[in-house]
Amino acid sequence: MTMDLKRELKKYFGFDDFRPGQEDILKNLLANRNTLAILPTGGGKTLLYQMYGAMTHQRVIIVSPLISLMQDQVSRLQYLGSKRVVALTSALDFQEKTAILTHLNRYQFIYVSPEMLANQQVQQRLMQLQIGLFVVDEAHCISEWGPDFRPDYLKLGTVRERLGSPLTLMMTATATQPVRRNIIAHMNFSPGDIHQIVLPVNRANIFLSAKIFANQHEKDDALIELVKQLNGPGIIYFSSKSKAEQTANTLTNETDRRVMAYHGGMDSQPRFHIQQQFLAGNLDIICATSAFGMGIDKNNVRFVIHYHLPANIQSYVQEIGRCGRDRKPGLAILMYEPNDRALQMGLIDHTVPDESLLDYLYAHPKMLSTDDQFRVVKFYHDNGDSLEQAKTIFNHARTRRVKELGAMVQYVYTEKCRRDELLKYFDEAVPDGERNPSYCCDHDVDFWDRWRDFSRQYLNQPAQSSQNEAKSWQQVIDQLFLSKN
Amino acid sequence: MDLRVLMLIFGSGQQFRRVKAIKNTLRGRRTVSNLYWALEYGLLDFVDVLHGTDFGEDQLVLTQLVSSGLARADDTFRIQLTAKGIDQQQRYLNQLLPLKYLAVSSRYDVAKFMRRFSFASQIVSEFSYGNNQYYPQSINYFEDQLLKRWFVMNKHQDLPRHFQQLLRDFLGDLQPADLADVFVQSLVGHNFSGLTAEQVAVKRRTSTTVVALQWLQLYGMLLEKLMQAGKTSLFSPLVSGLAKSTVSSSAQATFKLFLQQKNHNLQAIATQRKIKLTTVYEHLLEVAIMSKTAAFPYRALISDDLMNQLLAHQPQNVGEWTFQDASQVIGQLAFFQFRLFQIYRSKMSDDDGSQA
Repeated sequence: MTMDLKRELKKYFGFDDFRPGQEDILKNLLANRNTLAILPTGGGKTLLYQMYGAMTHQRVIIVSPLISLMQDQVSRLQYLGSKRVVALTSALDFQEKTAILTHLNRYQFIYVSPEMLANQQVQQRLMQLQIGLFVVDEAHCISEWGPDFRPDYLKLGTVRERLGSPLTLMMTATATQPVRRNIIAHMNFSPGDIHQIVLPVNRANIFLSAKIFANQHEKDDALIELVKQLNGPGIIYFSSKSKAEQTANTLTNETDRRVMAYHGGMDSQPRFHIQQQFLAGNLDIICATSAFGMGIDKNNVRFVIHYHLPANIQSYVQEIGRCGRDRKPGLAILMYEPNDRALQMGLIDHTVPDESLLDYLYAHPKMLSTDDQFRVVKFYHDNGDSLEQAKTIFNHARTRRVKELGAMVQYVYTEKCRRDELLKYFDEAVPDGERNPSYCCDHDVDFWDRWRDFSRQYLNQPAQSSQNEAKSWQQVIDQLFLSKN
Repeated sequence: MDLRVLMLIFGSGQQFRRVKAIKNTLRGRRTVSNLYWALEYGLLDFVDVLHGTDFGEDQLVLTQLVSSGLARADDTFRIQLTAKGIDQQQRYLNQLLPLKYLAVSSRYDVAKFMRRFSFASQIVSEFSYGNNQYYPQSINYFEDQLLKRWFVMNKHQDLPRHFQQLLRDFLGDLQPADLADVFVQSLVGHNFSGLTAEQVAVKRRTSTTVVALQWLQLYGMLLEKLMQAGKTSLFSPLVSGLAKSTVSSSAQATFKLFLQQKNHNLQAIATQRKIKLTTVYEHLLEVAIMSKTAAFPYRALISDDLMNQLLAHQPQNVGEWTFQDASQVIGQLAFFQFRLFQIYRSKMSDDDGSQA
């Protein structure tokens, strides 16, 4: 079986080897076993269902919460060789949705948002189709205990049954034990029905570092120095679009690196140009919000810098996982100044409704349908939960988020090994014999005085792409369209 | 888009113009008031050319233009360009094709054509290298279907050569010639990532808005070229379904009923269409503004007697004549007829009512 699967891998994707866990998961699916897979970012989740679809010629439904990025996922699957791919999301207008539903049988891979899947018309149409595999991507969204809870995910268990209980693959990059139990229960499985494959969260090739700055000015100066001298392509993450844009401008002016901003608020065409430039090596650095990186494969990102504090350790681990996907050394830097915590607290206040807002919304339930940010409140309201129950739920949610933020801040201030600090969150530890103090975190070596040496020693600077050389329009046209003559 | 740049391009040294009216004209807000001012400013050809675009804050833009000495403002939020503003306007216009190529966007969805052509170029480019592993551009479902059908039907027609030839002919004839370099950066294809408008602007030391307008003009020009090539052209499907109506369909329906009537009973039209009488007035004014003078029956709506009174009392600049002033000298004057007269006079002074 092993040999056969590898041959299939080569045949469909041209790869010689699977990434850790992929082969096991595929074997489970091919043996018709429902599977929960915890695979780290960059672990090749897409390949799993794409290869299953290719080998079995069956239809695959992928439930994904990332509406704004679903089109990127469609592009990515097309890039990887599957052409019959479509996305059903609330971003479609009525006519598009009608046309897609009418012709849904033409598609082998159907991405669908959980909100769209809750729609009766969509369910009815899917019930008419043969479904070979039902994939729940980002499955941690199903858990109230997870940081990204989406109430529509709670309906997935019932929806799956209505679709004839097809073979199911639930995937996430990061899930703690309680979250895993929660996922299985909400999907209406009993633990014995599910085969779990849990890969280590630890990415030993990523060096971990963090630094506390006195203020933003000091942080900005340090960022310029880092960007000037760190080798390789890199991503800098921000919590705000405007700061990402502003910093991209500053870094362009102050360094000789090629830097652009990328965020969900941009039009699709410039976003596409920038993504292509970064992939092709025409850009060195992307100043991004968390939207960047989910839809694309760029294996040689050498460093990920967080200019702002992420909301929780799960998000942080996901985002730093975008460097070193080629398994060569990568560097994660978290830049912190005390106001960053307040920024995240502000985001919590903005996203978790307080008691007075709940009072108002319960008194004016029509308002619940006016704004997407009330979706979670609407869920509990429609579910029959009382105002007091809703208040308790949201107070818990707030407390949990504050606690998660606290864990993130603790990661910054810890004087112990940063890797241990990250992994303990996932009940994981560095395996005996695999600890490597010379390449682990900035507490084991004098990183902050020697980061330039670190960069020279470990981070490869890729050769400059020739694409960016100035060309006349005639040369560009000749380059674009290869003539047979 | 930077509203300051647009105000300089569409502002005037002779006339005070409302910032909001210009903005609403460009983004296609078809209220009678906006259309009327577009007529007065000679900007009817530019209605909806920047459909759906985000602009800056009117008041802020006005303040910036005034404080930088590029415009003067009156107390009704109107601006008139200063000599310095006109210099700057000229500098922008020198970087653009004649504005008639921007006006193509008023009649056709050029922005959609641009996305379509850019995606088609990517497909053909990768096809010419035999590569089917690439990130395709994102485009809506119907556009995607159109391109798929077009590609499947034509992929054995040596598409790469046709694209090469088309672009060589089109870009080779451009004046100013350097716009050809601006155009090709909008494309994406095999081992070519193109540039964003912002990146092109940095390279050429100009404004991102100017580059965005250059692209719209260039694609407008290319669209016209491909439409002239006729239905049998290989590229014909790429220019199909892009026409925009210059009059809203509801106004067209009202006007059609009006033409079918013998007694010109506007209340009857309102009843039949289940709309308010004032909406019927607005529809007729919209059609009047957007039609050539001879194509609208002014005389059926303004009696000879009223027309004579209006002609007798009109000031030199009829566009600035207020309804309040007019109704003081003409008894029983209705706003609808007053505005219709203004449109009529404005059109008569500018024969076909348009400016290219």
